[in-house]
Amino acid sequence: MTLLHRRLTKDELNHLIAGSPIEPTRLNDAHRSSLSTRFRAVSVPGHRRLDAWSVERAGRSGDEFRWSPSTARRALGNASLRRMALQPLSIRDAVRDELGDQMLRAVSGYSRSGSLSHWLASAPHPVIGVVTAEAVNWATQLHEIAQWLETPWTIPTSDAYYDVATARTTLRARRDLVVRNDDSRIVLRVRSGSPGKSAGPGLRADLTIEALADHDGVAPARFIGLWPEAGVCLSVDGTMTDLRSGARDLVHTAVAQRRRGNVIAA
Amino acid sequence: MTIVLDSAPSSVVEALRGDRSNRPLIDIASASGLRSLLEDGIYEVIGAQRLDPPLVIRTSSLQQRFATTDLAMSSIGRIRGVLIVQLLRLLSVGMSIEHPFDDALTAWRAEVGSNELIGQLDRLDDDERARLATDLDAHYVTLTRALGEIPARWMPRSCVRSIQRLSGGNVVLRDAIDLMIGTPTSEVASIALFDVTTSPLGEGAERSMRYHALMQTLRSSVMPLRTCAFSSATGEIWIRDVDYELLARSVDDVLACVRDQWTAR
Repeated sequence: MTLLHRRLTKDELNHLIAGSPIEPTRLNDAHRSSLSTRFRAVSVPGHRRLDAWSVERAGRSGDEFRWSPSTARRALGNASLRRMALQPLSIRDAVRDELGDQMLRAVSGYSRSGSLSHWLASAPHPVIGVVTAEAVNWATQLHEIAQWLETPWTIPTSDAYYDVATARTTLRARRDLVVRNDDSRIVLRVRSGSPGKSAGPGLRADLTIEALADHDGVAPARFIGLWPEAGVCLSVDGTMTDLRSGARDLVHTAVAQRRRGNVIAA
Repeated sequence: MTIVLDSAPSSVVEALRGDRSNRPLIDIASASGLRSLLEDGIYEVIGAQRLDPPLVIRTSSLQQRFATTDLAMSSIGRIRGVLIVQLLRLLSVGMSIEHPFDDALTAWRAEVGSNELIGQLDRLDDDERARLATDLDAHYVTLTRALGEIPARWMPRSCVRSIQRLSGGNVVLRDAIDLMIGTPTSEVASIALFDVTTSPLGEGAERSMRYHALMQTLRSSVMPLRTCAFSSATGEIWIRDVDYELLARSVDDVLACVRDQWTAR
């Protein structure tokens, strides 16, 4: 395993990026097929969604998802930064423009019930204010991190998704910044709070999903998790050992979820 | 440097930012030394044993060093404090506020859903609620007069949280800075921290100012430029330039608090 723990500073972050492995690891069809077989063996009645958070919580389900200023901040903050890359805007103006577009989408009938646009369009004025404040916080934080980087970076338009063939399972990996260093890519993910004991397995799950979601199965050279509130970062390398470990944790999570489901049903 | 403004200033934010040409270069060297001081000090108190649960230090822990009655810590005082911070959040993004109490309450509910404090607010009778709303209006007027408009180019963000685990997780430091402006990516120190309280400023507020500066230094490894405390009750503001001495005093405050909590266990 290649879990590294560093303080989140400009020098440490750039050092982690510059020192990432050069030779990329590639997942082939046999790996994908093997994962699919394992997930099929852990069948569930409905569709299953797994991500790093479910791995960190060992398959325990949390509270039902609901939109709130804190759940909306990442989507809005990242979209605002993408907007800033295209036109010179202050962070606050970029967030406002993004909010405006989201609400316009709902008013024009292009959003479905339960979506962020739909929730924002029906939210009262003060709630929009707090949503703006949270999104500004997120975007400022990510902008500061991006400004530290000495290599070209982009903000991905979406998270990484991978549908496991014939296993009714969707895997999702969060990604906030993608850095290109020579031919390899390094993925950065920002999280709130401070890393717990299961942060490493969570990062490895993200790494594996990111590799699976890549068309050619190429794993990122390094996957870096940033916890700005705690001022620390953790990273895992895109080695076959870490990818296997990530896949194993995802399957174990599916098993744990099914066991819990069986207990509740009993 | 301590500035006490006896009249409503045109803009507290302007005062916080100060003269750009006089700002020192960013200090990225002090954070590790401060961390070592904390780690050594905690080890002297607790030793090598593992604590479960850990000792948790917050701004409120520092304000209650001695057993005194603090009206700001009453339920109504805490609710008023939370609501004024919600209003500050809305002001920081340039939102217009027409009904301070209702707007702050709506924002608070959206943020936290429900908690014990909101439950206490819901149990207030109409008279108590009306008194709280009027009180909050007065605090809001004082805050807006002093704060002025916050330009977007100063990158204001509100309720900036930080958490630091020390001594292998035995001690957890938590903090939330009401308003932060400036950026740690600049060549010169530019981060200013703003803390609003609905009580008159006292010794506790001074400890809070220092603690915010210490936590920001530990979190980002960059020493902030200034830290300030503003009382929406009196309109008084204390502004301090951040230097190593101020941060070292905050380390002493934290260690004293750790010692108190450890003795009380």
